Amino acid sequence: MGLLGRGSLLLTLLAFVLGFYLASSVAHLDRVVRERFAGQLFQVPSRVLSAPTILYPGLDWKHIDLPGVLARLGYREQSSAQVLTAGRFYWTRNSARIYLQAFEHPTRPEPERNVSFQLSGSRIEEIHDVSTGRELGAVLLEPELVGLYYGPNRKQQELVKIDKVPEHLADAVIAVEDQRFLDHHGIDPRRILGAFLANLRAGQIREGASTLTQQLVKNFFLTPERTYRRKIQEATMALIVEARYEKRAILEAYFNEVYMGRRGATAIHGMGEASRYYFGKPAAKLLVEESALLAAIIQGPNGLSPYRWPDRARERRNLVLDRMLGQGKIDAEQHARAIASELRLAHATHEPEDARYFLDLLRQQLPEVYTQEDLEGEGLRIHSTLDMRLQALASKSLREGLESLERKYPELVREDVTRQLQGCIIALRPQTGEVLALAGGRDYRDSQYNRCTQANRPAGSVFKPVAYLAALEPRGARAPVMTLADRLDDSPLEVPVAGEEPWRPENYDREYNGEVSLREALERSLNVATARLGLEIGAARIVNMAERLGIESRLPRVPSLPLGVADLTPLEVSRAYATLANGGVRPSIRTYEDVVQADSDANSLLRREIDFERTVEAGPVYLLTSLLEGVVDRGTGKGVRLAGLRGPIAGKTGTSDDLRDAWFAGFTPELVVVVWVGFDEPQSIGLPGSQAALPIWIQFLRGATGGQSRGAFLMPPGVTRLDIDPTTGARALASCPRKQPEYFLEGSEPKKTCPEWGGQPDAPGAADGFGGFLRRLFGGSKK
Amino acid sequence: MLKRALALCVLTAFSAGCAALGSLPRGSSLRLSEFVNEGDPARRASMRLTLNGLDEDAAGHFDQARASYEQALRVDPLNPYAYLALARHYAPGPYPERTESYLQQTEALLTAQDQLDDRARAHIVGLRGQALWTQGYSAEASSYLRQARHLAPGVWEDGRLDAAELR
Repeated sequence: MGLLGRGSLLLTLLAFVLGFYLASSVAHLDRVVRERFAGQLFQVPSRVLSAPTILYPGLDWKHIDLPGVLARLGYREQSSAQVLTAGRFYWTRNSARIYLQAFEHPTRPEPERNVSFQLSGSRIEEIHDVSTGRELGAVLLEPELVGLYYGPNRKQQELVKIDKVPEHLADAVIAVEDQRFLDHHGIDPRRILGAFLANLRAGQIREGASTLTQQLVKNFFLTPERTYRRKIQEATMALIVEARYEKRAILEAYFNEVYMGRRGATAIHGMGEASRYYFGKPAAKLLVEESALLAAIIQGPNGLSPYRWPDRARERRNLVLDRMLGQGKIDAEQHARAIASELRLAHATHEPEDARYFLDLLRQQLPEVYTQEDLEGEGLRIHSTLDMRLQALASKSLREGLESLERKYPELVREDVTRQLQGCIIALRPQTGEVLALAGGRDYRDSQYNRCTQANRPAGSVFKPVAYLAALEPRGARAPVMTLADRLDDSPLEVPVAGEEPWRPENYDREYNGEVSLREALERSLNVATARLGLEIGAARIVNMAERLGIESRLPRVPSLPLGVADLTPLEVSRAYATLANGGVRPSIRTYEDVVQADSDANSLLRREIDFERTVEAGPVYLLTSLLEGVVDRGTGKGVRLAGLRGPIAGKTGTSDDLRDAWFAGFTPELVVVVWVGFDEPQSIGLPGSQAALPIWIQFLRGATGGQSRGAFLMPPGVTRLDIDPTTGARALASCPRKQPEYFLEGSEPKKTCPEWGGQPDAPGAADGFGGFLRRLFGGSKK
Repeated sequence: MLKRALALCVLTAFSAGCAALGSLPRGSSLRLSEFVNEGDPARRASMRLTLNGLDEDAAGHFDQARASYEQALRVDPLNPYAYLALARHYAPGPYPERTESYLQQTEALLTAQDQLDDRARAHIVGLRGQALWTQGYSAEASSYLRQARHLAPGVWEDGRLDAAELR
């Protein structure tokens, strides 16, 4: 073979190798493209929404901060009621018009609706549907965003379908980003040439030539590096994408992927999310000028942010509108109107950071089939039970309360944020077990340890009511071990403990009080008297009662159990107190209602039902509630009344050994709130519950109820009220010099009377009242 | 003597009045629309939402109905009639076992609020019977339904309570 022949063979071989390399590279890129498009195109974080705000006649709109709610939801105030569209409102002194936005809900989607409110001071007087004139009993504002379960890249997206967005959005984007998008095959040689010449003239790279397809490929598959190799890959993949997929599918993927700015630390991607962020509405509702603005932003979402640089943004928006006019996508009239329009932006909403502890609890409540990856990538929409107003209030109350303690007691200050004084607050609706607010620490960014759900801490005296309830409850046909007429011995006590020093409980003030009533013992949180009560009924009954109230932690069967030596989580304590507030009906904790797939209209994938069960009879619970009302009225929790809170309130302070844990657990007929304060590594805070936890509880309840709690603790059947002599517990007859009303289960009223009367009890109601009246009238047998 | 006679007259009149109140006309049954204007603003709004739920139930929109009842409880968690409507919602199935706890809550709240009369009792025992029937406990169900028929004959003859009948 000659030299020429060998060279030719070499060239052929080289061409073959090169061809093989190119073919295999293209095949590889093709596989990458197909796999990505065939699988889940986007990793969309699941979003958690609050419970909707319900507005109704009689509601105090100032109390619920309605303007604040509207601002968080992105509603914009208008200067006239004539031009209202969805997401806008108009407010005067005595009336308001709110054009409610439609919202999706798995069971009760709401249409958009123009609603008028008649106001009187801070009250909503009447609500009418403007279009029908019909009076409405209640209307719902859409749920607020509580937070998202992000993956590592903190990307926020709301996916849109190409056929659900207005055509002018596509027109605007194509007009400014890729005029020949509908004609080219992934790359645009004319544009490349144009850009090349323009850059050559400028002596620097000033103009890009990437098509929408190339931009999509770059964002989807490639790194941002600027090399020839990457550019070739990008062009090849763009050609592959165009060959395999329709223009509308490519455009839809682009609309969902394109970077559109930042909300705090979170990147906003896609037109759906951008439309929510910039205009507070779904992309389907965009106006021409709004579509043009979104298209304008694509070039540089940060440098063209309409919030920071409104003039720049408007200028480029108008450029987009000019191009749309030039391409015949809009007519002159539409163009003139859009050019003249203001940048009507929604209030810049920031993702609330203070509900992260709640999100962690919600994740625990979801069944195991929902993995972390699912939550970070499946784009689920989770309708939670959270009340955003109460959540903000809980976080604020806790943070300010802890800061106030540190100001007052500088010895509590720790420089190291990981060792700071900490706390937790949780609010439940007792009837349904719904978590309305939860803050598991002072700042989630510093510590993700959720003290409401993960910290098992000695419950101290907040546990005492469990023991009292066990004592007041009849067992089967047997009478209760104790009644509210019984007396407890609060003198020094020594309990032998096998192999150890005897146990000698002490009161907080190290004083002893002799004989006291049950009421006094609980109101003053007397340890020694309560220890004797515990010994009387036995640990087994206390444990049984605790379990029925909803406590799940292991409880030591020791004499000190009623004093709260068991380690409990604040969540458990709140559930137990919810059972009390609910008259003995124990609710299951509920953090969400429904889980749905966000980008579909499908029904709920998963639902958590309201669930409750009667575990204690209402009678004994009512007796205990009356004791806990006494704690708030006169006892260790009297700070509640001194702070001016009115209405039915019951509660209990708690302080663990060496003042390491401070608690206050309390409730109204509609709300249970538990506060814990302490250090994560147990050490004394030097303060009891009434000084450390109670002020936080008071601040929260005042904000939640406006200072007046609603409803009443109603006496159930089977409970009677009669006067007793508080010094002896005997039933007080008319002539008894000392009287105090007290509650009893029917049949367990005291037998002794004051003054003693022939050694026999009177008939029920003999002391006075209608029975006494009849006896006096008809000359009854009383001597 | 005169004083005693007078007192006896008062007592007799009082008893007669009580008896008259106890014997409600046959067929008169509890309807929740009666309470739509009672109570404080939260209760009234809660009742409106409950009635919306009954309308949805009557139209066969069961999920929407349940959502309305739950919203009614959000506004006023102490509204016994919202629990009663939920009990009615669940009694025919597919989750009749949920009825009982809602009935217990209804009963407890009505009792505590001093509103538990025979008309309410009729629906409570009737729904208890209906839920048991749905679950296949026909013997126990019959006993409750008999009581309900006795208390509200016009409504419980067919052994069920429609949303429109409760509205």
